[in-house]
Amino acid sequence: MTVRENEVLLRAHGLTKVYHAGKIDAQALRGVDLEVRSGEFLAIVGPSGSGKTTLLNLVGALDTATSGQLEVLGKEISKMSRRERADLRLHALGFVFQAYNLVPVLTAQENVEFVLELQGVGLERRARAGDVLNRLGLEEFATRRPNELSGGQQQRVAVARAVASKPKLVLADEPTANLDGENAESLLAMMRALNEHDGITFVFSTHDPRVIAHARRVVTLVDGRVARDEQKECCTVNGAAKA
Amino acid sequence: MIGHVSLKYAVRSLLRNPRRTILSIIGVGIGSGIAVFAMSWIGGAREMEIRAVAESGCGHLRIVPADWPDRRENTLRLENPTKAIAAVDALAGVRAYGVRARVNGLLAMGNRTAGVEIAGVVPELEAGASRIVQKATIEGRYLTREDTDAVVIGRTLAKRLGVEVDDSLFVTLVGRDEIQSAMLNVVGILETGSRDVDAMVCHVTLDELERVSGFPGPAEISILLDDYRRVDAGWAALAEAVPQGDAVITWKEVNPAFAASIEGDAGFGRLLIGIIVIVVALGIASAQLTVVLERRTELAILSALGMKGRQVVILLAIESFVIGLAGGVTGMLLGGAGAYYLATIGIDIEAIMGDEVAVGDIMLDPHVYGAFGWWIVWFAFGISVVATLAASLYPARMATRIEPARALRK
Repeated sequence: MTVRENEVLLRAHGLTKVYHAGKIDAQALRGVDLEVRSGEFLAIVGPSGSGKTTLLNLVGALDTATSGQLEVLGKEISKMSRRERADLRLHALGFVFQAYNLVPVLTAQENVEFVLELQGVGLERRARAGDVLNRLGLEEFATRRPNELSGGQQQRVAVARAVASKPKLVLADEPTANLDGENAESLLAMMRALNEHDGITFVFSTHDPRVIAHARRVVTLVDGRVARDEQKECCTVNGAAKA
Repeated sequence: MIGHVSLKYAVRSLLRNPRRTILSIIGVGIGSGIAVFAMSWIGGAREMEIRAVAESGCGHLRIVPADWPDRRENTLRLENPTKAIAAVDALAGVRAYGVRARVNGLLAMGNRTAGVEIAGVVPELEAGASRIVQKATIEGRYLTREDTDAVVIGRTLAKRLGVEVDDSLFVTLVGRDEIQSAMLNVVGILETGSRDVDAMVCHVTLDELERVSGFPGPAEISILLDDYRRVDAGWAALAEAVPQGDAVITWKEVNPAFAASIEGDAGFGRLLIGIIVIVVALGIASAQLTVVLERRTELAILSALGMKGRQVVILLAIESFVIGLAGGVTGMLLGGAGAYYLATIGIDIEAIMGDEVAVGDIMLDPHVYGAFGWWIVWFAFGISVVATLAASLYPARMATRIEPARALRK
């Protein structure tokens, strides 16, 4: 799956999501329109309950919308089978979670290698995983398990895992929420570098001002709708100009 | 695709909660060990019972007149005994055989009488073909081919008639044309240890029976094989060779009630094994279900990373397979030790049944020895692995149905 520069990676139109909890219906998204192009470094912000994580889950093909259209890499998510959605996640998407969510019984190297193994990468996966860890400055932690790493180190390994499979789009749900200032800054700088040098598109769900400061585009959700979509003046897509 | 990282994931996952894993392995091991022990017992008891019924007169195979299976009449005789005996001599794997005929008769001494089935035997063959003759103690002597007017009876029968060795018995029996009678001299009183068996034994030579009854020739050739598992092969070979007008039947057809009893015992044993396997499988399913619930978020993450349902199933199956293998080793050691005890020391059924180790006219062995062999290895592993893999299917299916978004929201 190749992505051309400035290509539309995701397009949402009139996207809604209703959660049913017993007799109560909770409307998480109320008609979201959004377009994300390759190379963007985009933050979706908004208060708790505004629908940020729900939108990220829909884009990540982890959940299905109640109504509306959602195309990711030109494919309509609602028309994809469970298996096709798993394939999309495996080959085109990367995920970074707030709680790191590394596999606890695997080392950092193995966590990264695991995704490549799922992709069907052959014996070179070991070297590839090692390269990614080296590039992200994690080589000395390669043989450590998650419980032997700090929160910041774990999240960097999670980013390595997300980008090792060379995804087109990385979805990061509150990636800095559990990190102190220094670790958060270091992580964001690393992701920004991956965006600028490797052209990986990042979409964050966050209300962390540190992330917002790094983002070149900020989409604000309020009550399940896009309230504001702001392209920072300092920046253009693909980092033509930087803050 | 399942590679070495997936394998590490599965195997290391078993160490997350070592106590649970060890308990699961012990559970599987005990279950498969009991199953091995039960199989050893079933196999040993079955072999002993078949040997007992065959050696008590049935034979593993029997050549009879073709009408005998339907009519069961003692007046029927073999079509061509010489050819039938030649066929038996030509059959491989024959340990011994007895040539017999029977008539129904009445023994009398003074005013005491007893109805019996009088067996005409070839004495020198009977000692090899019948454990009743082989294992009994005899007061006086057993028959010889040259005996005329001689009879050997069981101890219970002798007591009932009030006779001793060298006494004469008045015999009335069903002859070919009319009721016949004769005076027979008691040359031996035979004691097997079973009053039931001793109440039925009344042997004369085959020539004597032919002379008194008028029925010519033998009515059956009972054949003992070296290995009871060769009954079907022996039957097939012999059925081709016996004269037309005669038939070959197995011990099951001679004594269908006892055969049904043996099959019933084996069936009950297998049912017991099945129940054990189900209980073990439910235990493993419960433990694996707990594993899936505990790892719900982690499995959701793996799903988010692109792992497919089939791969999740394989990962959980690998974990179950390892538990099954370890349980198989445990079961093999536990069950193997039990089976070895059964095979070498055995179970003393005299202690259970008392001195009367007989069922009807069938003399059982005083000990039951269990089956023991390489089958224990594959049986222990087979039961353990199949039960644990089957048990992992439901939890694995639950795992594949985890909705990543919902699981990650919690």
